[in-house]
Amino acid sequence: MTRRSLQSIARAAVVPDGGTSVALDDIAGAAAITGIGETAVSGPSGREPRQMALEAIAAAIADAGLQPADIDGLMVSGHIADQVTADDFRRHFGTRRPLWFSTDGGAMIWAGTCGHTAATAMLAGKATHIVNVFAVDWASRRAAGTGTPGDWHAGEALKAHLEVPMGWYPQPVYFATFARRYMHEYGLTEEQLATIPLTFRRHANGHPGAVMGGRKLTLEDYLNRPPLAGPLRREDCCLISDGAAAWVMSPTERARDMPQVPAIIDGVGHGRIAGAPYISQQRDMTATPQVFAAPWAYAMANTSPSEIDVIAVYDCFSSTALMQIEDLGFCRKGDGGSFIQDNRLHHTRPRQEGGIPCNTHGGLLSHSYLLGASHVVELVKQLRGSAANPVTDARRAVYAGFTADESSTLILRRGR
Amino acid sequence: MMNTPQLDHPLTGPFWKAAARQELQVTWCGACNHAVWYPRANCPDCGDPLHWRALSGEGLLASWCEVAAGLNPNFPTAYTCALVSPVEAPHIRIVMQLANSPAEKALSCDMPGRVRFIPLQQAAGEPYLAPAFEPYHDDDTACDKQLAPG
Ligand SMILES: [Zn+2]
Repeated sequence: MTRRSLQSIARAAVVPDGGTSVALDDIAGAAAITGIGETAVSGPSGREPRQMALEAIAAAIADAGLQPADIDGLMVSGHIADQVTADDFRRHFGTRRPLWFSTDGGAMIWAGTCGHTAATAMLAGKATHIVNVFAVDWASRRAAGTGTPGDWHAGEALKAHLEVPMGWYPQPVYFATFARRYMHEYGLTEEQLATIPLTFRRHANGHPGAVMGGRKLTLEDYLNRPPLAGPLRREDCCLISDGAAAWVMSPTERARDMPQVPAIIDGVGHGRIAGAPYISQQRDMTATPQVFAAPWAYAMANTSPSEIDVIAVYDCFSSTALMQIEDLGFCRKGDGGSFIQDNRLHHTRPRQEGGIPCNTHGGLLSHSYLLGASHVVELVKQLRGSAANPVTDARRAVYAGFTADESSTLILRRGR
Repeated sequence: MMNTPQLDHPLTGPFWKAAARQELQVTWCGACNHAVWYPRANCPDCGDPLHWRALSGEGLLASWCEVAAGLNPNFPTAYTCALVSPVEAPHIRIVMQLANSPAEKALSCDMPGRVRFIPLQQAAGEPYLAPAFEPYHDDDTACDKQLAPG
């Protein structure tokens, strides 16, 4: 297969000032997601992350039609405590073979970039069937008072000394500040923003197992809720959850003979703001680093937003979801508030009817806070035609990963 | 997680020592003649060592957030947090709180104001003087704006 040069991708991937694209080699079409697995997702459950991870891995391997002994690569998060090791894998599954191991996996941006890391490892002959897994027990940790998602932010020296003592902490405060600026610049109303949590909630209502699956949310409910970090309400902020998700990645030529419809990894992008990780100083408070990631992924995949059928964006906050829909190129910056109206993000309004179904499992706002791992699993289901809230004839899907100062983009294509 | 100002920290201590004297200081590159924020040893543009420089305290409210009681365990009661762009360095933003409760004055992005210094105290630890943004009142005159902060 002829691969594009970095220069050729860079020429096509034009990004604005204020950040950069990571120069990722062309891996388009080399690998595919061939198996997916999930545990139940929940609030505080007392479940142990390693056990949840192994359960999700077992489900993903079985879904791919493989045996544990077929797996020769393992990717986990290097940023979250208590992830599984290669030894955990061998001990649990009773296998002996060495595992190519990477801590550049997991969720958030890595749920997108792991597709590139895995494909690169396969092309170099380091591994064949690679599992990426992510497990989190932050609901249990928060309930027990042993940790919160804000810990990293309070531990970074300059943030700890110049933000935390002023009260610019935890994360809802950051993104509410940016949402306020967005409202000022583009006239976004609270009613318009409500469309994000309301649509994702409707998706969760139709998705078995979603944490908020049984809870309806109306516009009136939403508007009656007090601000948590004004202008954001609790409904604009992600859940805190326990759970795990995993997927198997395999060379595309192997995937053709495997049981599931492959989700071929066609493009990956990775961008970061200048001056990372200090988002208080980012050039444009109304955009996410997705503007530095998506153009590279589209160029690698030789596709464009007009060819995408379904998306899953990292919706830690409703406003960051809205910005990423713009930053992925589905509408102009600032038009998002009106663009998302009229069911445009709902799974029943496909692309040919002007929609762009988004977070069809309910997202971080209403499915669970698996930091994007469930987003990728949901997109694979959409491409297979097995999603609970199906998008008719979905052929291309995009995941938008986010860590505040960095973003990733993963473009998947239905393999048959 | 609790973090109070550390006056002896090599990068951020000078900011808090200046705040204790009711002075707003940021790191500055003399060669480029611009502020570099957050603080670091050298200018990212030219490599020259940075020095601390006092600012007038006048600036624009880039944005703000009304934090509900209970969200931030360090500051258990409601407060308003702001990003402020100093007039001498409009490309940077300094994190601070609002000096008055927002009910006293309707806020809007890019409204002008000035920094004054207020004592902040977290759920644990000693109080410390910190910059806080005070929007100019509509009846402020140019003369009023020249009054020393404090
Ligand atoms: Zn300089």
